[in-house]
Amino acid sequence: MDRTKMFPMVKGVLVLAIIALCSGLLLGIFNIITYVDPLQSAYDRFAADTGKSFSEMTDAEGKDYENGSIIYYAVSDDGLTQAFLSEGKGGKFGSVQMYVYVTEGKIEKLVVGENSENYWSYFEGSTFYEQFLGKDIATLNALDADNVTSATRTSEAIKNAIDVVTQYYKEKLAGGTK
Amino acid sequence: MNTRKVKETFLGGLIKNNPTFVLVLGTCPTIAMTTSLSQAFAMGLATTFVLLFSNLFVSLLRNVIPSKVRIPCYIVIISTFVIIVQMVMRKFLPELYETMQAFIALIVVNCIILARAESFASCNRPLYSVLDGFSMGLGFTGALCLIGIVREFVASGSFAGFAIPGFPTMSGVGASAFGFIAFGCLMALFNFVMQKLNERKEKMKAVSLPLSDGRVDELKEATK
Repeated sequence: MDRTKMFPMVKGVLVLAIIALCSGLLLGIFNIITYVDPLQSAYDRFAADTGKSFSEMTDAEGKDYENGSIIYYAVSDDGLTQAFLSEGKGGKFGSVQMYVYVTEGKIEKLVVGENSENYWSYFEGSTFYEQFLGKDIATLNALDADNVTSATRTSEAIKNAIDVVTQYYKEKLAGGTK
Repeated sequence: MNTRKVKETFLGGLIKNNPTFVLVLGTCPTIAMTTSLSQAFAMGLATTFVLLFSNLFVSLLRNVIPSKVRIPCYIVIISTFVIIVQMVMRKFLPELYETMQAFIALIVVNCIILARAESFASCNRPLYSVLDGFSMGLGFTGALCLIGIVREFVASGSFAGFAIPGFPTMSGVGASAFGFIAFGCLMALFNFVMQKLNERKEKMKAVSLPLSDGRVDELKEATK
């Protein structure tokens, strides 16, 4: 092979590789500096959303379902509020995480967590969340709820995230067990 | 450092070559992230950070990067800073990050950043490149904030999240269609004002020309 052609090619590859390596090192350093413990982050979020303290994660392992998963489940220190971090499959750009808060068996609050969706403006002014708030978690069928027009897949992902909470609740919590 | 070039570079990004209103670059985040002032400001700051550092590194490495692999190299540099912005936002501004994360990642393909790396930073010294990145970022942030103020005010009757009492809200106006209309109107206004200012400047120049072409000295000589 012609050396005059080979040299610029090798040089180009080497330069790109060195830049990529330096970039990786820099990102590694930043990752160490800005690392967020997901468990601690969930505690903080539960506390911020409910105004209550959570000192123990009741279920830090979670559970997978066909249409989503429970990531974390915790009970507030006063024992009144159950907090779930769930994830619903089927969004337009992937899964949607939801924080679901249950007090005395009823859904008290819903907060959208990490996601890559960008159809949230369609939810403003809609009554979508009213289909779940205040409803009995043990009898709720989240999948029957109406979707938000123009944000069907995002709505489906949210419904799946709530549905896995109801499934988990019925399986593990209904009947008085924590 | 050439003072005139510094001034030209700074004002160029801010006004003369404003990336949003004049060059019409980065329209996707402009429409998507201007539903509220806070989001627009955060997006502008994130883009400014990436612009500033990517310009700096592209300029520092301009004599090392072979021209055939320059675009992949620029993309690696830009994406590094975008990921750093993501990490920092995730740690310190988690709520804002959750609402913006899809668009923060898309800064990598924001044409303003690649355009400045290719057309300016790759052929200028680091200091000028940093200044260019800063002024372009500032111009972009300013434009985004302006559109954000208008859209937030019309759609939710509020300013920076604070409700203005007695103002009717029009939630439908928050959609992308109105975003384009607001963007177009503000762009027209910006260019109209700039055109008027330029015309005024030209007129002033024409009036002051006899003073600068040496005729004043001739007059002085004649009157002696």
